[in-house]
Parts: sequence; structure tokens; C-alpha cells
Amino acid sequence: MRCRCAWANAHLKSNETTMNEILNLELLNAAIRNAAPLIFAALGGLLSERSGVVNIGLEGMMLMGAFVSAWIALLTGSLWLGLFGGVMAGAMLALIHAYATQQWRADHVISGVAVILLASGLTTYLFRRFIIPMEEAGKTSVVGVFPSFEAEWMESNPLGLLLKGQNWMVLFALFLPIAIHLIMKRSRWGLRLFAVGNDSQKARSMGVPVRALRYQGVLLSGALAGLAGVFLTLALTGQFRENMSAGKGFIALAALIFGRWTPWGAVGAALGFGFFEALQLQLQGKQVVAHALGADDGCLWCRWLQRLGNKETELLTGHELPTDLLLMLPYLLTVIAMIGLFGKMKPPSDLGNP
Amino acid sequence: MKSQGGRVLIGAGIALALLTGLIWLSKVPIFVGYRLILQGAIGIPPSENAGLLDAWDNTLHEMTPILLTGLAVALALQAGLFNIGAAGQLTVGACAAAWIGARFTLPAPVHLPFALLAGAAAGAVWAWLPAWLKMKRGAHEVITTIMFNYLALYFTHWLVTEVIKDPESDAPKTAAIAETAQLPFIGSFLFTSWGFVLAVALALVLWALLYQTVWGYETRATGSNPDAAQAAGIPTHRRAITAFMMSGALAGLAGAVEVCGLHYNFFEGFPSGYGFDGIAVALLAGNHPALTIGTAYLFGALQSGTYNLHVATGAPKEIAIIMQGVLILFALSLRLGKRAPEK
Repeated sequence: MRCRCAWANAHLKSNETTMNEILNLELLNAAIRNAAPLIFAALGGLLSERSGVVNIGLEGMMLMGAFVSAWIALLTGSLWLGLFGGVMAGAMLALIHAYATQQWRADHVISGVAVILLASGLTTYLFRRFIIPMEEAGKTSVVGVFPSFEAEWMESNPLGLLLKGQNWMVLFALFLPIAIHLIMKRSRWGLRLFAVGNDSQKARSMGVPVRALRYQGVLLSGALAGLAGVFLTLALTGQFRENMSAGKGFIALAALIFGRWTPWGAVGAALGFGFFEALQLQLQGKQVVAHALGADDGCLWCRWLQRLGNKETELLTGHELPTDLLLMLPYLLTVIAMIGLFGKMKPPSDLGNP
Repeated sequence: MKSQGGRVLIGAGIALALLTGLIWLSKVPIFVGYRLILQGAIGIPPSENAGLLDAWDNTLHEMTPILLTGLAVALALQAGLFNIGAAGQLTVGACAAAWIGARFTLPAPVHLPFALLAGAAAGAVWAWLPAWLKMKRGAHEVITTIMFNYLALYFTHWLVTEVIKDPESDAPKTAAIAETAQLPFIGSFLFTSWGFVLAVALALVLWALLYQTVWGYETRATGSNPDAAQAAGIPTHRRAITAFMMSGALAGLAGAVEVCGLHYNFFEGFPSGYGFDGIAVALLAGNHPALTIGTAYLFGALQSGTYNLHVATGAPKEIAIIMQGVLILFALSLRLGKRAPEK
């Protein structure tokens, strides 16, 4: 009775502890890298939604940031100019969102949909019109990435293993929540933004410039979502691919909601969702290993399947952990959080109102 | 220029200027570009490689799923709920229809309705949970339906790679559906399937239902002022959930029609962008089912026109997506699509 089970990897290698440890730290290392764009976009979403403007357009702003950063970096050869361009591109899209929701008092969700369509259409159009022909002419579309941390001491030190191969943007992503937290809790601007999102009427009557603050919140959220896109090109892959944000903006939105619209919560959720992504990628590439199926030997998943089906027949052929299940987890957890199973949700009370 | 007429003129002018700019940017002479788009959309002026009927054929079958998802979004909005999850409902609907179509051998008069209804039912189920969670637990339907879009994507991906995959093929797709489950073409002259007629008929039925029946009145009342409707004794929760499930059924049907009338199977990466198209056309039509036919036609023509431009000159066909975004903004500038604030 053998069961080809992905989880079994850990069981089998349990005698090689050091090897195992490195593997786990490598997984965490990848998790942090995957979480960084989610952190940027989720914190961006936080600034917008705390000011009372729903921002489902994060996805589009991210994609735009990714494309423009790659394009500018290709044209100028400077990663820093690319970064600046990507951040500005995200902010420009956000400006459209802010104008539609504030000046036209448009529905925030519909305006967000328009932003997503514009970004998806424009990036693919410009990519095919300007970058693909470059490729065909024999030039590269690879722009390269920011240098990553490599040092001797990182090999032996657990903290070093987590940081190894990362670059400054990852560090920035880890420090950003501290800054956002302090801004939201300690600064005049942050407290006012918070007030605008909770009760714009009252804030206005107290002399707070509601519209200006919402513009600022939305623009900053676009800039941060653009930065998340920049991360995808200039820190992760080194080049742009069509629709490369691939739903990451929506996962960031989920992280923001799962984290109850707080900086720490959002970052925690983003790290968790990044971990699922890393785990899924690990499992996908893994050769699944057989392990003996016994009461103590089998993993949870095996035992669960064993209970479900006939253990004699079904598990003989073996199973793999469906990676789609891991991909579903962020969305599933967010829905569960939304119905209040992890405690009551308290969104900004004026969220989505004109 | 604060009047509505002035806004329409300015908005239409900006949209046309942008389209012209995109054609110019694609290195296509502007006049030629517009002619190719018109040829692809309505077949006029006639050309050798794209006849009149070809153009209408493309436009009508492009518009079919757009119309169905547009009706889905419009119906939900009439009941005061935003269905941004049409994409997910379409995906599960397509998957269900493909499974029924390939799994069973039945006579055509039973098989085809069975497959279509299965698609609609799957969509309705996928919409039911977000609506129910909204009514019972106050979970906002916009967020839950976005989450359900991705849940649908990965769930059907799992199904199509592990459970209902065509065993004869290596690719993640289902086996082709039986001929008895296929939607026939309208005629030898038009290769559009009867799905198009079904969609238009449903639009008219929905119009009658919303504006001629008590149920429709109560649903619209629920959407425009839930508190007043509740005070008037209308069971607002039930009306909203029913409308949302019907909305999901329409989106699921869109997927089923795509499978039974066009692709004949379900596969990894099944096109689900029609969910966003549906939002755009419903918005432009002011959520009126009959007007949605017109706006869906416009979008179908835009798709098929820019596709013709793409085939003839190699200009990226994403011009259509950009123009959809612009048209949504245009509609928003006309103050369309404003909803009553929550609470």
C-alpha cells in the first residue's frame, strides 16, 4: 500500500534535519518574495479604502505599473527611471478613478472596472505594438532586476537565509507597514483620512477637506499599486508579460479585507497568501514521493481521503495534493472572514458612498 | 456645457478621438482603419474577403454572451445588487454544460435543454451563496463575487485537469459534447447559433417580467429603496436573492451557450471576460433589458470590427478592450449607474 503524496516529502526527509530546515526556510524566503507585491498593493488599497473610496482597480494599476516600468527601463536602460515611471503610471490610472468617483460621483466599483479594462487593454496594445516588434527585430525585452542580497554570513544564519536573494524592494515592503501604521495612527493627515472614511459628513462639518483627502488617498493607492507592478517586472521576473498581474491585485484586495483594513492585518494576510503561493509553486514542480500508508505514517490529506473512500482500492494508485486547492485558499479564507467567522468585520463606515 | 446633451457630445467626441488616435498609433491610415472596422462590424462597405453576412455573423455571435451577461448584471442591479461575478458564474455554467453534453447520450430534444439548464443552474448556485451571505451575514456581494470568480476559475481548473478531463487528450479540456447537445445554426446563410435568438428572447421576457409583473415591480422597488419596500410589505430579502440567482443563471447560460453553440467543449482558460463586458453594456443601457440588446450589439460590433482590423492590418485587437473602458467612463460621466448609498 503506497501512496504518492506530496506532503510525504517532509516525512521522508525527517532524518535529514538540516536539509529539511533549509528547505523550509527557502519556502519562507519565497513566501516573502511572493508577498511583497501583495503588501504594496494591499497597503495602497488601505489608503484608498480608509478614505472611503472602494478600489477594485488595484489589479489594473498594478498591471499598468508593471508595463510602464518595463517599457521605460527598456527605453532608458535605467531601472530607477522605470520604477519612477511605473509608480507614476499607477497614480495616473488612480487619478481617473479619483476624478470619476469624486467629480462625477460615479459608482466606485464601476469606475474600478473601467480602470481594469483600460489597463488590460492599454498594456496589451502597447506591448504588442511597441515591445513585440522590438523582439522580432532581435532586441531583448529583458530589462533585468535590482541586485539581490548575497553575502557569506547569510548561508549559516536563519535570518540571512530569509533575506538571501531578496532585494531592497522586499525590505521596503517589510518596513512599509510600520510607516503606514504610524501615519494612520499618529499623523494629522492619517487621522483625518481615517475620519473622512468613517463619516465624510461629520468630517466635512469639522472643516476637513474631504475631497482633497480622498484624492490624495486614491492617488497614493495607485502609486503603491504601481510599485507592486514594478516589483513584478524589476524585482521578480525582469520582463513584462501580458496580463502578468494575473489576479494579484484581487488577492491584495482580499488581503486588505482579511486583514480588516488595518496595516498589520493586511501585511499578515499578504504574507500568508504569499506563503500559499510559494507552497503551491513548490508542490507543482515536485516529483511526488511514495510513502507507506499506515495509521501514523500517512499525512492528514491521506488519512482524510482514506476515511472518504475505500482505503484498499483508491489509494493504491496514489494521489497528489491538488494545487488548485492551495490557490483557492486566499479567496476561501477571505469569504469566511467576511461572513464574520473570525470575528466581526468593521469596514470604514462611509466606504463606497459618494 | 453642463447639460446632458453637451456631455454626450463631449464624451462621444473624446471617445472617437481616442479611437482615431489608436488607429493612427497602429500605423494604419485612419480612413482605411475606420473602413475595416465598419466592414468587420456591419459589412458595409462590402469587400471581397469579408461579406455582409460574415460581418453580421461575427457581430451576432460576439454579442450573444455579452447580451446574456449584460442581462445578468442589469437584473441584479435592478434588485440593488452588483453582480461582478458574472465571469465566475459563466465559467461554472460552461463547465456544467460541457460535462452534461459529453457525459450523457440522450435524444436531442432532451439533451440540449438539459445541458443549457445545467449551465444556468450551475450559475444560479454560484450566485446564490454570495446573495445569501449578503442577506444573512452582511458580506458585501461585490467582494464575495470577486472571490467567487477566482474560486470558480480554480475549481473548474481542478475539475478539468483531474475529474472530467478528456481521457483521450493530454490537454486540460473536456471531451467534445455530443451532437445532440449542440445548438444548431440559425440557417445555412448565417452561422450564428440559436443561442443568439434565445438571448434576445430572454431580454424581451426579462423586460416584460421587470416592468409588467408584480414580481418585477417589487424587485425594482427592492433595488431602488429597500427600506421603503420593506415597509410596504415586500419580502425584500427573498426578491433580492431570487433576482441574484436569476442573474447567475443568465450568466451561467452565457457559458452554456458558448459551449453548446461555439466551442463544443470546456477547456483550461475558458474565456470569461464577458463578465466585465456585461457590466459595461448594462451600465450603458441604464439596466434596461431591452436597451441592453442595443448596447450589446454595439459591443459585439466593436469586437468584430476591431477583429477585422486586426486580421487585415495586424493592429492589436485590444483596441476593443480600451474602447470598452473608455465607454464605461463615458457612461459614468453622464451620471449613469448611480446607486443608492448603502444603509
